Amino acid sequence: MQLILNPAIIGCVPDEAPLTELDDIEALDRIYRSRLLRFVAYSTGDQDLAETIVQDCLLKAYNGRASFRGDCSVYTWLAHIATNLMRDHQRTRKFQFWRMVQKTAPDLSEMGFLLPSRESSVETQMMARERAQQVSAALEDLSANQRTIFLMRFIEEMDLQEICQATGMQTSTVKTHLHRAVKAVRQKLGGQI
Amino acid sequence: METQMQTAHLTDEQLTDLLMGENPPAVREHLDACAACAQEAERFSGAIGAFQQETRLWAERRAASLPRLTADREAAFAWWHRPQAWMAAALAIALAAGVGFSIHNSHERGVQQQVIAKVAVPPVVTAETLKADNELLAAIDGELRADSSTPASEYGLNGTLRRGRSRSAARSTNE
Repeated sequence: MQLILNPAIIGCVPDEAPLTELDDIEALDRIYRSRLLRFVAYSTGDQDLAETIVQDCLLKAYNGRASFRGDCSVYTWLAHIATNLMRDHQRTRKFQFWRMVQKTAPDLSEMGFLLPSRESSVETQMMARERAQQVSAALEDLSANQRTIFLMRFIEEMDLQEICQATGMQTSTVKTHLHRAVKAVRQKLGGQI
Repeated sequence: METQMQTAHLTDEQLTDLLMGENPPAVREHLDACAACAQEAERFSGAIGAFQQETRLWAERRAASLPRLTADREAAFAWWHRPQAWMAAALAIALAAGVGFSIHNSHERGVQQQVIAKVAVPPVVTAETLKADNELLAAIDGELRADSSTPASEYGLNGTLRRGRSRSAARSTNE
């Protein structure tokens, strides 16, 4: 006598993709919103616009989750969507003057808090913030591509392959942008060499 | 090559590669021997680390202050991403605008037709009507002539008027 297991009875449904955070809009929002917000806010230099783009990005990802093939991480896929949304916005030249007027750049100095830390003194924290503001100022002088790639590499800690997947650029192009960006930021930070 | 690495500082490309995570043995050796290059790499990494931490705190605070996406909210915004919904909305607006325009036009056309009708249609007066009207007017005129009563006679003032007239007539004869 041969026993045949019925998948429906044992609660196992083969050929069905496992549930990920993409299947839960609340989890998607909870896990990735702040990370995406930082990336988009410093890429565009406009925090209000960044909030809109991030919300749009999360909704697009959730609604189009069936098209996610899983050949990269969820964050890389989200960064790809966010990058396309930012490009779409940059192409829209309409109302650019008004955007310049109404632009609300993320301002590190307005955070107005020094978190109590046992590890570092207030003086150390002040110095850290000053260095962070120098980097923030240096980013403003970069081109849009250089800034986006620099943020992906050094802030989001994505490797070259992930950056290529997110931006749709060749490795050589990404490297060129990255070299130029690092050089410009180093000079702004008062590079000694 | 190694001698060159010991005497000169790292090039931009070498420093960038180092900062990007590539750490070949030659560069590592140079960093051990050259304090300036080691300090430069440390300075850049420190600034990036500070920026990373500060921006992470900023983004977490900012994200926490924003309304969360929920399944309900997603459903409310779902139409935003459906081209069919946009087309339907555009069609509905176009139809509404078209109907409104049509109603407005037909109303204006109706008013114009009424005005044209008032101006264009002459009153229908036949010869018989004219004759009947003239006979009626002639009859009224005749009746008025035949009636000797005056408005004063209705109030009994005819006698006074006659007396007044006779006195003035007598005065004129005496003179």
